[in-house]
Amino acid sequence: MNLFEQIEPLLLKVQKPARYIGGEMGSIIKDKSQIKARFAFCFPDRYDVGMSNLGMKILYSCINKRPEYWCERVFAPDTDFEALMREHHLPLYALESLEPVKDFDFIGFTLGYELCYTNIPNLLDLAGVPVWQKDRGESIAPIVCAGGSCVCNPEPIADFFDLFFLGEGEELDLEVMDLYVKMRDAGATRSEFLRAAAQIEGVYVPSLYRVTYKEDGTVDAVTPEEGIPATVRKRIISDFDAVEVPEDFVVPFSEIVHDRAVTEVLRGCIRGCRFCQAGFLYRPFREKSPEVICEQAKTLIENTGYDELSLCSLSTSDHSRIEEMMDGLLTFTENAHINLSLPSLRVDNFSTGLMNRLRRVRSSGLTFAPEAGTQRMRDVINKNVTEEELMRTCKIAFDAGQTSVKLYFMMGLPTETDDDIRGIIELAQRVVDMYYESERRPKGKPVQISCSVATFVPKPFTPFEFHPQDTREMIAHKQKILEEAVSGHKRIRASWHFPDSSILEAVLARGDRRLCQVIYGAWKRGAVFDAWSEHFRYDLWMEAFAEAGLNVEFYANRERSYDEVFPWDHIDYYVDKAFLIKENEKAKQAAVTPHCRAKCANCGVTKVTHKPCFPKS
Amino acid sequence: MIPVRATFEKRRRAKYISHLDLMRCMQRAFKRAGVPIWYTEGFNPHAYLMFPLALSLGYESGCECMDFRIDGDMSMQEAMERMNRVLPPDLQIVRVAEPVRKHTDIAFADYTVMLECADDTVPAEALRAAWDAFIAQPEILVEKKTKRGSAQVDVKAQAQILSAETSGNGLLLKLRMPAGTAVNVNPGLLTDAFTAALEQQHPEIRTGMLRAERTAIFCADGTPFA
Repeated sequence: MNLFEQIEPLLLKVQKPARYIGGEMGSIIKDKSQIKARFAFCFPDRYDVGMSNLGMKILYSCINKRPEYWCERVFAPDTDFEALMREHHLPLYALESLEPVKDFDFIGFTLGYELCYTNIPNLLDLAGVPVWQKDRGESIAPIVCAGGSCVCNPEPIADFFDLFFLGEGEELDLEVMDLYVKMRDAGATRSEFLRAAAQIEGVYVPSLYRVTYKEDGTVDAVTPEEGIPATVRKRIISDFDAVEVPEDFVVPFSEIVHDRAVTEVLRGCIRGCRFCQAGFLYRPFREKSPEVICEQAKTLIENTGYDELSLCSLSTSDHSRIEEMMDGLLTFTENAHINLSLPSLRVDNFSTGLMNRLRRVRSSGLTFAPEAGTQRMRDVINKNVTEEELMRTCKIAFDAGQTSVKLYFMMGLPTETDDDIRGIIELAQRVVDMYYESERRPKGKPVQISCSVATFVPKPFTPFEFHPQDTREMIAHKQKILEEAVSGHKRIRASWHFPDSSILEAVLARGDRRLCQVIYGAWKRGAVFDAWSEHFRYDLWMEAFAEAGLNVEFYANRERSYDEVFPWDHIDYYVDKAFLIKENEKAKQAAVTPHCRAKCANCGVTKVTHKPCFPKS
Repeated sequence: MIPVRATFEKRRRAKYISHLDLMRCMQRAFKRAGVPIWYTEGFNPHAYLMFPLALSLGYESGCECMDFRIDGDMSMQEAMERMNRVLPPDLQIVRVAEPVRKHTDIAFADYTVMLECADDTVPAEALRAAWDAFIAQPEILVEKKTKRGSAQVDVKAQAQILSAETSGNGLLLKLRMPAGTAVNVNPGLLTDAFTAALEQQHPEIRTGMLRAERTAIFCADGTPFA
């Protein structure tokens, strides 16, 4: 059932209607009669955010390369369109076929940030699919599933989903679809399929695990049903250079957040910054060869028609052959009027050679992330960046004509003192001083250093997963220290946010299964799009916590002991808990751990991969 | 260097592409298609693309124009074929030719507008009668928003009603409106005034624009623009 006739009369009443009608270049239309399974790929945020997501583009392409499967896109309608959809009983539909999502075989969410969680029940409700897994009955379709970085702790959203994809989906998603088609054609029920799917490495079926709690509120045990694996290990793809990459993107008509071609250059990170969840979740480190990167980038540019190319990774300058890669990319981008942009550069290996290549790229300012203001604090978080390295990099940038630098910091880090906060501004001032001492700076132009200071959120699978988040009072105090420290510094700007959303993020990140009721309660009260400050309603969340008899402090501000059973302990992301404990102890001593290329830290990855991440040359 | 004026259709899903987005969409399509179009010279070169007459969001059209130049060894016919392979099916070039008339020659455009009764029990004839009464007024003053604020204009003096016929449960209007860089009047100005007048005088007949399409663009001497 194509909903075009019903959608059309509503479109001119809403902002940016092009977001709701599909038909973009590169969108894939298939003949439904030839399709064995349909996958609705839901991004639980607005079109302009979701269309910028590389993971979605990768999996859209992977699934659609199989002729018998059809993957379509679904985004959260903005509140104006959602109101009209509800008023006119228009169900959530997918953008390619314009058909209702509830008729699909799979409804798959990608979850990259915790503050999108209320959009999950909202979208399911808008689709006309039961919000709770237990209410979906025994008919096999639709299977409601999710993947993405957030599902490393799927417990706070466990009761909404039939299954989770842990780790990398390029191969895993298709294996699950293959199993589904086989079992559906043989007449299997939903629970029969889920029991079978739970045997595939990387698939977590939460309804097959029972969680019990101790009197103090912590988890007592997570017990699988008979014949179901006790721990579920994430999946990684077998060969990074050979993995399927999108040769084309859906190129939107309307402007989106990242409106450009994107090529992934490496996956994982060698650094081991102790606050960074991505740095542990995506291990092991793997990089593509410059030849493969250039070839893939070129194909993508030709097929999409984009005039901008961006490289994607956790730390682009950690690519072992970055200058070669840059030379290869610049050769074709310069000839073809293509702008090249490189996010995620580190200050400690930012060479003049790289800067010279970057100068050939039209730059919109440089951003670096020292993360903390003092060396002691940077050692605690294992950032492994020295002040000299930051100064050297800023000097290279100033000498090349830059007059503004943006610096990212965090506050609320473990062991942090007021002096560490003041250190942020002191560091920025030394960058300002260095600018005016630099002989080759752009003459007659003032310098501007922007310090963006975020509130630290402890995350699962990091050495800081045991740590309490700073309380609201502590954060307010530190923000005041920062405000006092920056006053009078004309060339430095500091910015920070109210901590409410960081507190909620901390709760959801390390929460347990009881939070499903809180998310549901907040949504029922009207909470949606919590990541957007104009929609965020902390008061609704507080009501939902009260109703569920739970409190925020238990999840956000509690120090966790090493022997506590965490809600995600039955989930295996290759990195050992023992390693995280060791790293946390080193953090307390402000002792650093060298990066993986310098020395293997024995995080646990090689126990699964059975080979060193960096073969000795 | 071959100057080209392409006439293209904008229908169904493509009618929601805004004018600004259409520019970007075409630039990318030229890249995808591998059509060597001419880039402006200067500090910040960009693809040279001109749209002589913007189309309102939500309007369909079979006669939109776009000017560009082929900078290389390719016929305009091949450029059109290559473009149509990469453009969405609802956005297709229908012909290409050398540009003859200047953009400033554009004087008026024809539209068909379908108004529909929101309520099935109201006969189309009632809508037709209301329209006849509305259009028989000596003048129809509406607020027109411009870059310098808003001004009152007599939209009746500017519109030419080519026909007004009932069609199904609605009213099909064929309108000729001033168009171009000097004066440009959107037919929605007239139909919105009609809908507003109905709300005042005949609240029982609720109506709204169901479809609108630009069907032709003309120069002052009455010849087609492209």
